[in-house]
Amino acid sequence: MFEFRNIVTTETLKKNSVKKKVSYGILLISIFLLVIFVWKMLQPSDTVDFSADIKPILNKNCITCHGGVKKSGGFSLLFEEEAFANTESGVPAIIPGNAAKSPFIQRLKEDDPELRMPYKKSKLSKEEIELLTKWVDQGAKWGKHWAYTLPEKVEIPEATQSAGISSGDSEGFIQNDIDHFILRTLKNNDLEPSLPAEPNVIARRLAMDITGLPPNDSLFSDFTAGKITYENMVDELLSQDAYGEKWASWWLDQARYADTKGYESDMGRTMWQYRDWVIKAFNKDMPYDQFTIEQLAGDLLPNPSADHLIATAFHRNTMNNGEGGTDDEEFRVAAVVDRVNTTFEVWQSTTIGCVQCHSHTYDPFKNREYYNLMAFFNNSRDEDTSEDEPNLKFYNEEQQKEVTKIYEWIAKNESQEVAEKYKNFLTYTEPIYHSHLIKKFENGNVEGRLSLRDNGFCFLNNVYTQGAGYMYLKYSSGIDGTTMTIKKDDADGEILSQFVINKTSSTIVRKIPFKKINEKLNLYIEADNNNISPKSALGYFTWFAFLPDIPEHPSAEYMGIKDSILQLLNTNTPSLPIMVENPDYRNRTTQVFERGNWLMKTDTVEPATPKSLNAWNDAWPKNRLGLSKWMVSKENPLTARTLVNRVWQQIYGRGIVASLEDMGSQSDPPSHPELLDWLALRFMNEHNWSIKALVKDIVMSGTYRQSSKNNAKLYNLDPENRLYARGPRIRLGAEQIRDQALAVSGLLSTKMYGPSVMPPQPDGIWQTVYNGGNWVESQGEDKYRKAIYTYLKRTSPYPSFLTFDAGSREVSTVRRTVTNTPLQALVTLNDPVYLETAYHLAKFMGKSNNVDTSIREGYRKAVLEDISERKLAVLKELYNTSVADFEDKPKNIKEFIPFETDTNANLAALTVVANAIMNLDEFLTKS
Amino acid sequence: MNSLDRLIKEKIQRELQAKTRRHFIKDCVTGMGGLALGSFFMSCNSFLGNNEKAKIALTERDINPLASMAPPFPAKVKSVIYLHMAGAPSQLEMFDYKPTLHKLNNQPCPQSLLEGKKFAFIRGVPKLLGPQAEFKQHGESGNWVSNFLPHFSKVVDEVAFLKAVNTDQFNHGPAQLLMHTGSPRLGRPSIGSWVTYGLGSENQNLPGFVVLTSGGKTPDAGKSVWGSGFLPSVYQGVQCRSKGDPVLYIEDPKGITRNLKKSTIDAINTINKEEFNEYSDPEILARINQYEMAYRMQTAVPEVMNINNEPEHIKEMYGVEPGKESFANNCLLARKLVEDGVRFVQLFDWGWDSHGDSHANAVDLGLRNKCTQIDRPISALLLDLKQRGLLEETLVVWGSEFGRTPMQENREGQEMAFKGRDHHGDAFTMWMAGGGIKKGASWGLTDEIGFSALEGQVSVHDVHATMMHLMGFDHEQFTFDFQGRPFRLTDVEGHVIQEILA
Repeated sequence: MFEFRNIVTTETLKKNSVKKKVSYGILLISIFLLVIFVWKMLQPSDTVDFSADIKPILNKNCITCHGGVKKSGGFSLLFEEEAFANTESGVPAIIPGNAAKSPFIQRLKEDDPELRMPYKKSKLSKEEIELLTKWVDQGAKWGKHWAYTLPEKVEIPEATQSAGISSGDSEGFIQNDIDHFILRTLKNNDLEPSLPAEPNVIARRLAMDITGLPPNDSLFSDFTAGKITYENMVDELLSQDAYGEKWASWWLDQARYADTKGYESDMGRTMWQYRDWVIKAFNKDMPYDQFTIEQLAGDLLPNPSADHLIATAFHRNTMNNGEGGTDDEEFRVAAVVDRVNTTFEVWQSTTIGCVQCHSHTYDPFKNREYYNLMAFFNNSRDEDTSEDEPNLKFYNEEQQKEVTKIYEWIAKNESQEVAEKYKNFLTYTEPIYHSHLIKKFENGNVEGRLSLRDNGFCFLNNVYTQGAGYMYLKYSSGIDGTTMTIKKDDADGEILSQFVINKTSSTIVRKIPFKKINEKLNLYIEADNNNISPKSALGYFTWFAFLPDIPEHPSAEYMGIKDSILQLLNTNTPSLPIMVENPDYRNRTTQVFERGNWLMKTDTVEPATPKSLNAWNDAWPKNRLGLSKWMVSKENPLTARTLVNRVWQQIYGRGIVASLEDMGSQSDPPSHPELLDWLALRFMNEHNWSIKALVKDIVMSGTYRQSSKNNAKLYNLDPENRLYARGPRIRLGAEQIRDQALAVSGLLSTKMYGPSVMPPQPDGIWQTVYNGGNWVESQGEDKYRKAIYTYLKRTSPYPSFLTFDAGSREVSTVRRTVTNTPLQALVTLNDPVYLETAYHLAKFMGKSNNVDTSIREGYRKAVLEDISERKLAVLKELYNTSVADFEDKPKNIKEFIPFETDTNANLAALTVVANAIMNLDEFLTKS
Repeated sequence: MNSLDRLIKEKIQRELQAKTRRHFIKDCVTGMGGLALGSFFMSCNSFLGNNEKAKIALTERDINPLASMAPPFPAKVKSVIYLHMAGAPSQLEMFDYKPTLHKLNNQPCPQSLLEGKKFAFIRGVPKLLGPQAEFKQHGESGNWVSNFLPHFSKVVDEVAFLKAVNTDQFNHGPAQLLMHTGSPRLGRPSIGSWVTYGLGSENQNLPGFVVLTSGGKTPDAGKSVWGSGFLPSVYQGVQCRSKGDPVLYIEDPKGITRNLKKSTIDAINTINKEEFNEYSDPEILARINQYEMAYRMQTAVPEVMNINNEPEHIKEMYGVEPGKESFANNCLLARKLVEDGVRFVQLFDWGWDSHGDSHANAVDLGLRNKCTQIDRPISALLLDLKQRGLLEETLVVWGSEFGRTPMQENREGQEMAFKGRDHHGDAFTMWMAGGGIKKGASWGLTDEIGFSALEGQVSVHDVHATMMHLMGFDHEQFTFDFQGRPFRLTDVEGHVIQEILA
């Protein structure tokens, strides 16, 4: 054991002290041996740690055959109880405290290749076998992975100057507590922090990170002139509206927000109110626990406000399949599966999707637990219908007053409970029975909606009318005089309702008398009309609904209420798909799918959270609201860690745990585990889940404020900057690249909110099947809105964003991979949008008659830095070449600058120079 | 725990974890890096000089993510041309000859075939529909081809048929995704991006993965069928268009001469080199390379996309229509692209959804027209590749997302105006040709009416495994770590179809 550790540490040491002279090496090794000796003496015992020592060996060598997917020989090492249970041989493989008698250890040492484990693979190393043996002898103590244990209170490391080789730089380095954690690791790796970045550099970096835009002129000059402090600048930027817009685009990737439904025809739908909700939530710094609860379960809060309901559109961003011939239930289930997976990916850094088919291969989640989680999400009203119901209706002020009046009148004359039901029905038209629930029909069809021909009939089963005396029916018809008859059970059953439908001008909602029966009914629905060809549809029926009766009054007030209800139900308003829970009498049961196949349903399960995570509090309701409270409970080990890790990544380009989407035994180990826990605890306990406070902590650190200048030593030691010996230097994201170009050229519109806009894109991009949609270029300032307001069609996103690694938002994206392709250069060089920005920057540059000044001003405006003489010379040469070229071919000036009549070679040449400036690495990068 | 202890543990954990994951690609890159580095630094020594910065250890892929790499196993082919007929052509009118179905024409479909089956549009009991084309055996192989494909009949000995391909998806979008990404749900990389990720591109002036569409529409599943999923987006397919810019923004703005663009890029890169000297960030080197490539691409792409300069006999052979968007043009372009070293060329032709709801969608009318549109170009493509010696190093795949039913579609349970067939994934036909493929082979057999497989059923994953094998990959080892686990194109399935390999 000692020998093994010794080897490893020596290697660590070697790696850390690159290219020290040999004598130094020997000296250091001696020191190290001494340290190890002392350390050994001081350690009470060298207990083997399951998570750090054992689990990685098991994951690498054993778990493929003895894990969540396969359990060869009836032996699995995934869960504690399985590992110690009897195997197929009748005895346990691991006998705690007795390695010699444990088949688990014996089999590792076998000489017979048929018996030796890992089967048909090379033998484990001597060291690995020794570790495992020792672990079993020490009692085979099982352990939890760090990600599933609560963050523990962390001591902030003390600044130990004595450990440093030179201490000068690091003193100025420390700005807040984060820096102590960073500095300790740097020292352990013989690294020194970099010097602080220049004021102009840090101002640009900070503004880009907080607002997605360069700082405005006054803020920039106030800071660089020393009129305001760095902290003043941080606070000012955090208070700007652009902060919400910048951080919302990060969240919208995770929320898979888009303006279309996805799948084949990818029709448009209205989701932008949700996007605006997210922007506002960030700007008012809604605490993250509340932010979580409202999005996952806003509809289940007591007396939910319109904003609470809008927030739930988070989970209505799932795709909706409108392709002909698809089974709505299949895609409803697909949406539910997506909600489970997305929730765990977004809040828990856990790929729960694997568990849909089998227990997790590496992490402690069981197959059944997936369906326990699914049970939380399986009871929402949405059913993959073409209209995306349920939809929140946005009434105008007058209509909203009517809703309130109706609510108050019913509450007074009937009951609060019934009033509630009417209000909900008027607000989001639920609960309804969609006609796609009809599975059996004759002389008719169900293709989204029900249609019946003459003598057509169908069955709608399991309908609970709540004993209502009326049915609400949404339908349309092209002909007059069809008799509709609804009977109980079948053609011979008792007549429940009979009515005539005539031609309608559009789809309408009608209130129809219905026999009061307070039990679940199977409806037989029939249509008759002898005056028309038996091939013609008599009507198209969208849904059926029942509301408890309200007392009939002889008063005019009652008549008004009655009319007003129908009028509102027939009012078309702007709307937004939201989450609404089933009433109790329509609860779905959730069953385990065999091998993940939704058609092969087995055991019924109840809502529950995974056992390996925090315990359930019985005070929580067993629905999405309870789940969201479980998620933001301070006992949950993953929620806060996930969030701080991702915010950190947004700023540094890399998470403390680099695999942002996964914190578990297969994730990358945290580069700074204590810092991760310290940030998580501080975020929950001291900042009360304030994201602005977290962002402020991070950007106030000396770590963040370092210069991003690299050198060969630094790069070779730490190419990915995982130790933070330098500041972040990252190419800007798709949104920032566009917004910065617009801002620098003065074209950017700061108009917020509202329907998505369509800035110019090349012709012929949209070619979707069965979809008549067109890209209609926005006019006026809508052409220059921030990227977050650009219409996002999932099957065909805005091309230049796609090129710069923005996704199609079909599924949740936790991390965008930053890539580098020539197609990006083509966008910023040739896209007319970018040429227009270059032209406007050139106009600004052209205010001076001196070319040098023009270039200096333009460069400074774009990069916020004074241009070096060498760079100036290069751009001046480009200017001269351009002027000569345009003077030589004056026709080209007009073609190049079609925006204005008054043009000349100077302006055209300056536009070329501006275009070059806006393609420089220093412009496209946050450094 | 003291910090020393933690350091040790961190290191052990890191090492073990690194080994747990299959860092196949990473190893490959590092392995190559040493070799490639020399040449790279030779080319940029001019501005790096002999100073410290030259010692930054970089791999070629740090600078250029499309740098070409050798496959882990000997490959049979260098490039792939994948011809996808979006909408699902009827195998029963093209390749899968069923005389019994002819005899059973208009008979009600036996209940036993319908039980437990789900169809997209068929309701109730449909009638069987006999083949609407005439079949003959062709070539030395004696493989059956219908009279809808007279030209293809003559080159039939070049290809190997798979007559019993199976998919569990029967709607276009999900089935196309399965066929191109190995999963019916969104989010996985397409075959083309896997291949480009694994092999890079031979020609640095052209995209490594090119997509060409015809038929007036893009595929039902949208751009995701050539998306890169969780792979870096640099590996996604680049759609080259017949109208407008062949690649978006490839053309210089009006009024900008090539020389002026050259001066612009030179200026940008000179300043970027200055910036590199200050920041030593290798990303800047990647940016310099990116701008140089963009400039070269601006010449190379319009050149390769221009079919006007091809000799007349070649144009005639394919039946091209310059200036239009056509499948014939795309076949000729596909040849030009693989000739120039493009790794993966994906063609989509839309308009094969023969439900019988219109003239264009009738199996005896519209389908015949569609067959005529592809018959000449596909035959010409195979012959043209062959005469240039390219067929041996190219894999040509023809197929769709599924096939069609032996039953006549009866939408809403009613007889329809034209003869059509519904979606059917149980057994349909694909074929492959080129390097490593057994010429004239046919694998898989369907029952008497072409409804189910009797033998030689292969899955979509098997098709993928076979393609990967020909490109020099073991589909089980070619993985990418995402969300804490290694992902692969074939998920947990797939077997190489040995029966069609030479």
